[in-house]
Amino acid sequence: MMRFTSLLAFVAGAGAIAIVVLRVMPTRGARAVLAGIYDGALWLAWLVAAVAMAGSLYFSESAGFIPCRYCWFQRIAMFSLVVVLFVGALRRDRDVRWYAVPLAGFGMVISIYHYIIEWHPQLEGGSCEVFAPCTTPYFREFGFVTLALMAMCGFAAILALLLLPRALPFEPDSAPLEDQS
Amino acid sequence: MNVTNRKTNTTLIWVSAVVAAVVIAAVVAFATSGDDAPALSDGTVVTDASGIASASISETQPVTVVGTALPPLDDPANDPAVGMQAPVLDGFHFDGTPSVIDPADGPVMLVFLAHWCPHCNREVPRLLQWKATGAVPPELRVMAVTTAAAPDRDNYPPSEWMRNIQWPADWGVLADSAQRDAAVAYGVSGFPFFVIVGSDGLVKARDSGEKEITEIQSIVAAALAG
Repeated sequence: MMRFTSLLAFVAGAGAIAIVVLRVMPTRGARAVLAGIYDGALWLAWLVAAVAMAGSLYFSESAGFIPCRYCWFQRIAMFSLVVVLFVGALRRDRDVRWYAVPLAGFGMVISIYHYIIEWHPQLEGGSCEVFAPCTTPYFREFGFVTLALMAMCGFAAILALLLLPRALPFEPDSAPLEDQS
Repeated sequence: MNVTNRKTNTTLIWVSAVVAAVVIAAVVAFATSGDDAPALSDGTVVTDASGIASASISETQPVTVVGTALPPLDDPANDPAVGMQAPVLDGFHFDGTPSVIDPADGPVMLVFLAHWCPHCNREVPRLLQWKATGAVPPELRVMAVTTAAAPDRDNYPPSEWMRNIQWPADWGVLADSAQRDAAVAYGVSGFPFFVIVGSDGLVKARDSGEKEITEIQSIVAAALAG
């Protein structure tokens, strides 16, 4: 299961990077792909959040990993995103980004810091908490993939999807791209 | 094709692509992964070079606590446990050899360690260096209590970890129970955790977290003088 979720995190992280790369590429093909992603961005973002939540619940409820303090902060953001993005996607409400981006941004910042202290525990003081220390990951799949990194990839993918521009510089075909409501 | 149909189609394509990625990840993961985590080792038989079973290793051992448990440590500078009678820990080494921590045997420093804790892994070399300098008071016994054993965390099993960190043979080891009875009895609030008990059986000092050698020396000196 750790390997499976790690691979999913790779997919999410690679997706986020791909979107950023496509955004800076001035080609018509890149714009066409982004236009396609834009149409399904809300559902894709919800899917990322939902899979992340399912994975998080699996590790805590089935695998028995006790979430640490920073895990809980990230869970608050990710679990909320599942609900917010679902309603936004159902209503095709692009303005849901005004609520979802701050949540994802908050989660992203926490997950980055969490991942850093997993490698530099001295940043969090000189002792380990007894039951759920944030500085000690339960596993490092492939030597570096921890739950914090997985969360970071998920938040990055959600942010990349939600921050796609409302209007692209030019159309991939003759079809108009407005209807941004 | 109108705009709505095109959007519906592209959404379906992308969602399908993500679902396909999930399926591929699942197939790859299940095809390449082994067991995610070992079970808590309880009774591993260790064999010597000739293949003869020499000992039965258990990463946790039953611990009998005699006396009143100390309250959890909150503030080392204002610790209500100082002056309290320290409980006796009657337990075992990983190999089942009896290991008893009884303050009646003289002053003792208990060091509660968790194999997965990075701060414990940074502290142990300092303790070894402290010993190597010869600065450890000769009357002071030092005992490691390995606790919070977790098969899914780094450096498991603790018996092997203690060998790897080269914990001195003349410093004792007591393996805590799976329920962490020893840690609870001494009010452990973090790792590493130090408790110094005087020859009168009273708690002289408790502290948690990484300590430099000079800090350890001053804590020990103050505790033994008090």
